[in-house]
Amino acid sequence: MQLTPEDKRRALAAATLTLLGGGLPSAQAEDKTWDIDTAVMVYAESDNRVQAVEPVLKGTLNLGAERYFTAKLVVDTLTGASPNGATPASTPQTFAGPSPYTADPNETPLDDRFRDTRFQGLVDYQFPLSDVDTLGFGVNAGTEYDFVSLGGNLRYARDLFQHNTTLSAGLNFESDSIDPVGGIPIPLAVMRVASDSDDDDGIDDDMNGWRDGSSDSKTVTDVVLGWTQVIDPKSLFQMNYSLSASSGYQNDPYKVLSVVGADGEPLRYVYEARPDSRSKNALFMSYKRFVFDRDVTEISYRYMTDDWGIDSHTVDLSYRWYFGTAHYLEPHLRWYSQTAADFYHVALDDGEETLVSEASADTRLAEFDAVTAGIKIGSAVPGRGNWSLRLEYYQQSPKLGGVPTQAADGLSKFDLQPELSAVMLTMGYRFTW
Amino acid sequence: MVAARPVTVASLPGGGHAGRFTAMAAPCEVLVDGVCAQEVRRLTRIVAREVWRIERHWSRYRDDNIVHRINTASGRPVTVDEETARFLDYAQQLYAISDGRFDLSSGVLRRVWRFDGSDRVPTAEQIAEVLPLVGWHRVRWKPPVLTMPAGMEIDFGGIGKEYAVDRALRLVVQQTKAPVLVNCGGDLAVSGARADGSAWQVGVETPESGPAPVIGLPAGAIASSGDTHRFLLKDGVRYPHVLDPRTGQAVLGGPRTISVRAASCTEAGVLATLALLHGAQAQAYLRDSAADARVWW
Repeated sequence: MQLTPEDKRRALAAATLTLLGGGLPSAQAEDKTWDIDTAVMVYAESDNRVQAVEPVLKGTLNLGAERYFTAKLVVDTLTGASPNGATPASTPQTFAGPSPYTADPNETPLDDRFRDTRFQGLVDYQFPLSDVDTLGFGVNAGTEYDFVSLGGNLRYARDLFQHNTTLSAGLNFESDSIDPVGGIPIPLAVMRVASDSDDDDGIDDDMNGWRDGSSDSKTVTDVVLGWTQVIDPKSLFQMNYSLSASSGYQNDPYKVLSVVGADGEPLRYVYEARPDSRSKNALFMSYKRFVFDRDVTEISYRYMTDDWGIDSHTVDLSYRWYFGTAHYLEPHLRWYSQTAADFYHVALDDGEETLVSEASADTRLAEFDAVTAGIKIGSAVPGRGNWSLRLEYYQQSPKLGGVPTQAADGLSKFDLQPELSAVMLTMGYRFTW
Repeated sequence: MVAARPVTVASLPGGGHAGRFTAMAAPCEVLVDGVCAQEVRRLTRIVAREVWRIERHWSRYRDDNIVHRINTASGRPVTVDEETARFLDYAQQLYAISDGRFDLSSGVLRRVWRFDGSDRVPTAEQIAEVLPLVGWHRVRWKPPVLTMPAGMEIDFGGIGKEYAVDRALRLVVQQTKAPVLVNCGGDLAVSGARADGSAWQVGVETPESGPAPVIGLPAGAIASSGDTHRFLLKDGVRYPHVLDPRTGQAVLGGPRTISVRAASCTEAGVLATLALLHGAQAQAYLRDSAADARVWW
């Protein structure tokens, strides 16, 4: 919807009439414009693990008078293999399922069935209630082949002290339902191996004892309180507090734990079991500053703590250096550290699965540090399309924890916590339509 | 304190009288058809008061007005008066319509571009140094509060005079039924055709020597924009004082003078200015905008 010269001339005539107090313009008072943001992210983990391609299309329609309508569509295609939670073994390991897969000796078992296409969409509307109050609400939906998510949010913001201070409050609600292939496994139940199946299709048709219905659900409620403060002409401080409570099915139905003998070799596998509720508290602070009348630097810190025993710290630094007339280079560094969930175990001792009520070997719940380093280059020419290109490198360094005591020596011959690295390339283009 | 400036009335060779005063560094003139010298003086005073008021209000050379408060706010938010707010709204729309070519904050570029007829063209580095201080997109305009990064400045100079002509004419037509012409430095507007039904005959200053071309103006306004007197000359290239706020560079290859006829002086002035900013494409821009214009290269 590029404005034609005639449109522009009409807009000029109308604006001039308004300026001179010649009454309101007859036709459209304002030209509605779309701000279109497009981006494609490519994500690739080392060792041919997860690869993702994620195109994003976002459009914001400026309806005038500070009213904005936003629509966004994200498509995620994921391929590759992800750890299933089992530990390496000295002999090949075979895992059951619609397409059984095998891990080589001494290799971290990877579930190569990990293949998914996610669609997410949202629509949002924001409008002013007065010169100082803004209200916004939105709905979003996401689907995968075994997962549906529906959500909504409501936000309110109020400006104080000549718009130098903004206080905001938001409420998000999300309802997810999961319908995994083969049904929901009973937590801590023993996973059947392929040879246990009644027929040769790899699926255990007799689900007694380890399958529990076909689907389950989860709800998540978030409350966010925000404070944004203009400190001086060149700097801005922002602080957010958020409380997130989720209840319902929190397990990953495809993740297992190895139950190992004293020699560290697997005896069997059990499905993971996480608590059915989780509450998280997070505090985020950010300081942004305009430097040398040209560049922008930002430092932020986030602290999160939850009742699963995970505490995390994130420090993020970026510097946007404008060079030439309208180009910038933005180096970025991020450091992240978290403690393990109370129920995290690399593996379980024989019989331990009957003694614990919760256990998971998901490395995302383990203790680890991670560093992200990246650089972005882009252009910011007013009135024209803006492009950007960002390359980032991610390195995760896990710390071993939750090793079963009796099998510790036997397990020590394996690399239980391999490092993970990934590269991300994001290309973005933004224009007005 | 600015010394009180006089309003004078002179007899015209062809009969009738012209009221005269100076404002915004330009000679101003008020012509009224078919009234006595006394009435011309009264109406000229009304016009002059309004033009002087706008000049005082938006001059960037004074330290007691809104522009001074905005330009020295060092990033603090400034609450502006209703008229300035209306003008900022207008400037914001012009910025959007012109794809960033019309920019109230572009005056800062004059710190490196000094149009003194010399060959001192600024270097890319000098331009890059001030460019971060130019750009309406850096300004937060939430009526009636304007917040601008420190170091940035706004300047109504590019369009304030045409606005003053329109406002003054609007005031004066409430005072008389006689046809009126208000002219400030060649930017002018008329209240309608002359008493005998004919168009006003307006001479336009062009870069060419010889008699000025005359444009008939039955109604509306004429504004001109050009770089006849202000430019730099280096290595045979003529750098006009027309600067593109998006790049900080002089717009080369454009016409010397553009005169546009439109319903109001403000609109005519904007069209002429924007056309100059299109450089070699000025004529195409005017044609596409269906502008009633004359261009001298």
